[in-house]
Amino acid sequence: MAATAVPSATLQRLAQLSCKLFNNLYNPTNARTGNKVLRGRLLGPALTSYYPQKLLHFRDVKAAYPNLGLVDLEEKERLDEIARRKRRGKGTPKKGMFLVTGGRVSWGV
Amino acid sequence: MRSRILRDIRARNAVAENELVRQAYRYITRNESISARTRHQAQLALNALPKQSSPVFIKNRCLETGRARGVIRDFRLYRFQFRLKALNGELPGVKKASW
Repeated sequence: MAATAVPSATLQRLAQLSCKLFNNLYNPTNARTGNKVLRGRLLGPALTSYYPQKLLHFRDVKAAYPNLGLVDLEEKERLDEIARRKRRGKGTPKKGMFLVTGGRVSWGV
Repeated sequence: MRSRILRDIRARNAVAENELVRQAYRYITRNESISARTRHQAQLALNALPKQSSPVFIKNRCLETGRARGVIRDFRLYRFQFRLKALNGELPGVKKASW
């Protein structure tokens, strides 16, 4: 069975034509073109939508109607709790009340 | 842990913002038909982009607690929060296996 040798120039022309037909890049030396980078889709929209965000924040409503005197109940509750703790002497310490030396906390002056 | 979530949101926004520029620089550095000098400059520009805008800076975190480990991607919750919510019937279609 004698295989008829096809001249390499013909094969090359064939590859060239095939690339042209199928809209591919003719790259006989396999040089890196960087097209791989551009082929993928952009990830930004998928990444930024991972955390569901509130569409409307309370502060937006408050800013829209400043003369209604709206109060954020959750925030008020938090501040009240801090005030209550402070009255019982359980608030956060003042700056400089403790001495921190080498990771150990001790009473200051 | 809430601050970690905020940090991650910032990183995600930074990545989305810088994505096109990053892709362009990456294309230049990987294209052999461009002069070595230009490619090197593009690589330096890539390195000079803000660290937060790199996609590897992003970590999927638990929506409830902000924990970064053991997060089940489909529910965006870490394993224990997933269990709590599933047993509480808060996740539609999830039920405890029994046979």
